[in-house]
Amino acid sequence: MALPAASALAAAGYQVLSAGEAEILITLIDAIVPADQDPGAKEAGVVHFIDQQLAGAHKRFVGRYRTELPKLDAACRAATGKGLAELGLRERTAFLERVDQGEVAGGAFFQLVVDHTMQGFYGAPKHGGNRDGVSWRMMGIEKMMGRHGGHA
Amino acid sequence: MKLDAVDAVVIGSGAGGGVVAKELATAGLRVALLERGRLQKYSETGHDELRSQRTTVLGNAFGPDDERHVRLIQVGDDKELRETLPSEGSYGNVAACVGGGTFSFGAMAWRFLEKDFRMRSTYGAPDGSTLEDWPVTYEDLEPFYTKAEWEIGVSGKAGANPFEPRRSKPYPMPALPYSKEGTVLRAAAERLKWHPFPIPMLINSVAYQGRPGCIRCPHCVGFACEVNAKNSTAVTVIAQAVKTGLCDLRTECVAKEILTDAQGRATGVAYFKGRELMEQPCRFVVVSASATESPRLLLNSKSRLHPKGLGNNHDWVGRNLQGHAYSGAYGLFRQEVFDGLGPAASIAVCDFNHGNAGLKGGAMMANEFIRLPYLFARSVRPPGAPRWGLGHKQFQRQQYKRCAGIKGPVQEMPVFTNRVEVDERRKDYWGIPVAKITGKRHPHDIEAGRFIADRAAEWLKEAGAETVWKTVAGKGSTGGQHQAGTCRMGVDAKTSVVDRYCRVHETDNVYVVDGSVHVTNGGFNPSLTILATAYWASHHMVKQQGKVKA
Repeated sequence: MALPAASALAAAGYQVLSAGEAEILITLIDAIVPADQDPGAKEAGVVHFIDQQLAGAHKRFVGRYRTELPKLDAACRAATGKGLAELGLRERTAFLERVDQGEVAGGAFFQLVVDHTMQGFYGAPKHGGNRDGVSWRMMGIEKMMGRHGGHA
Repeated sequence: MKLDAVDAVVIGSGAGGGVVAKELATAGLRVALLERGRLQKYSETGHDELRSQRTTVLGNAFGPDDERHVRLIQVGDDKELRETLPSEGSYGNVAACVGGGTFSFGAMAWRFLEKDFRMRSTYGAPDGSTLEDWPVTYEDLEPFYTKAEWEIGVSGKAGANPFEPRRSKPYPMPALPYSKEGTVLRAAAERLKWHPFPIPMLINSVAYQGRPGCIRCPHCVGFACEVNAKNSTAVTVIAQAVKTGLCDLRTECVAKEILTDAQGRATGVAYFKGRELMEQPCRFVVVSASATESPRLLLNSKSRLHPKGLGNNHDWVGRNLQGHAYSGAYGLFRQEVFDGLGPAASIAVCDFNHGNAGLKGGAMMANEFIRLPYLFARSVRPPGAPRWGLGHKQFQRQQYKRCAGIKGPVQEMPVFTNRVEVDERRKDYWGIPVAKITGKRHPHDIEAGRFIADRAAEWLKEAGAETVWKTVAGKGSTGGQHQAGTCRMGVDAKTSVVDRYCRVHETDNVYVVDGSVHVTNGGFNPSLTILATAYWASHHMVKQQGKVKA
């Protein structure tokens, strides 16, 4: 599976996240809304939504992202022998299900990322995610949201 | 800074205060209308789901801001008192802008039923509840409901709801059409021998009073209206009040306390404009700041004769906080039932507001407003369905247009210990003690919620839904956007805060006019009742206070 290289991410220009943090975060959002016949959260630019909000409306969560992202990656390494970015989608999802179910620490933080991912994937493109309204197109509501949905 | 005297200071420009300001100004009185928020335009907020009144995850589109406003809360089974911010659900925000909640509300326009004003006589109070009758009847309020429907503007079909009591006039505008979902649900309700009808709405179905009809846009509940077809007090009565030249609308003004003299009568209001403390002398004061902020202001207005706060010598201010124990069901259909047209909520029944075996009251039931994509992702899933991953995505893709929801605002039993207090130790940006909300729903509310959820599920199954699941209110936080009850209207000064004309028992030149005065909150969205009560109170206020000029 192809995750963007750290150097490419840095070039994308994050306001709050470091390249390393962004790389871990992308592995999470990619499992939260994976690509199938429609683009997923990674393709929709949700990492940019989260980064943008961490500099604004979600700035109170910066500390949690800073401490919890590396912890979750370390927990993954301890549990599977590999970091999150080294796992394929299926293995990563299996690990995150264990986190979600409380078998591995970090469930509350993971739930926060799930929520922020949903905001970024389904919210208005102007906030940095849902690039080109991909989620609205997937749901067949691009006209309804496009006419009224605040690309502005 | 001490200002020149006016006749009345009205605090809060929502449903209650907007009507009062207009009624007083058109009666020739000089009014200062204080609003802590701003006068907003549609273009400032647009159609951004993440910053709407329904979904505040990126902040409150309609105020107040998180930076300067905080409350303390301990509800349900909470173990500790904690702080909560306006953008969090637990805050119980009703918005802070000109028009208050009506600027972005869903706009259902319900008259309460006769029994909603006579709950104790009809059912008797259950243990642990202060259930009581209103000191006014439906017949008292009927002319004022009519006035609200015509002056603010309601679309609906008179006579379509067989449970509605006598009305003196039809609606001024025809009902909005049924949505696709409404059409499916109508046939099902009729098969069940229920009595479905179109929901009356404070929305123009056709051009009315110089503003256009609804364009059926999907961004309705939780948003400002793009074409001003939604009848907030901002675009109706407040605009009219300002036009008289006698009502001075002062935005971003935060009331601190009601000032009183040695006899205990009000002499004016102290408020902050920015950080500057202003003093506005007046002949009388009208508090219309919401069922949380109105009691907070009274409790913060302490003096020698009002040591526990104005109107609070018998410790009833802030008590009996109510909202609605919303319960219902969702269903998934084989075919698409979604047409994407607003306001989407279009059909209701009142078959279960009263007369439910073993229950006191019940709820009107209606199909839900449009759930936009993020809210759908977070809140509409059958039990056990995946909340993330491919399963989540497939559900979102396949079920969004096949899903219908029905809910009812279940009438709550008032509880004396569900209350708003002030906490002297925790102060806001201006140094004013913040509101503290504590309590727990009465067990009867949950029981009634289960009953309404069962009826909603029955309706959806009859309509052909293949998967149906119920949602029942929890025992925690009440209040919320339908907050009410905290300055109860009553005859006995020892067991209520205001009289039947909304005048504070202990202080004859202070009124409370908003949802706070509701003795009980009906099984309905409360805005039309707040508007009607405001017309009723204003009518008597002009008689009581209108004669002497300042």
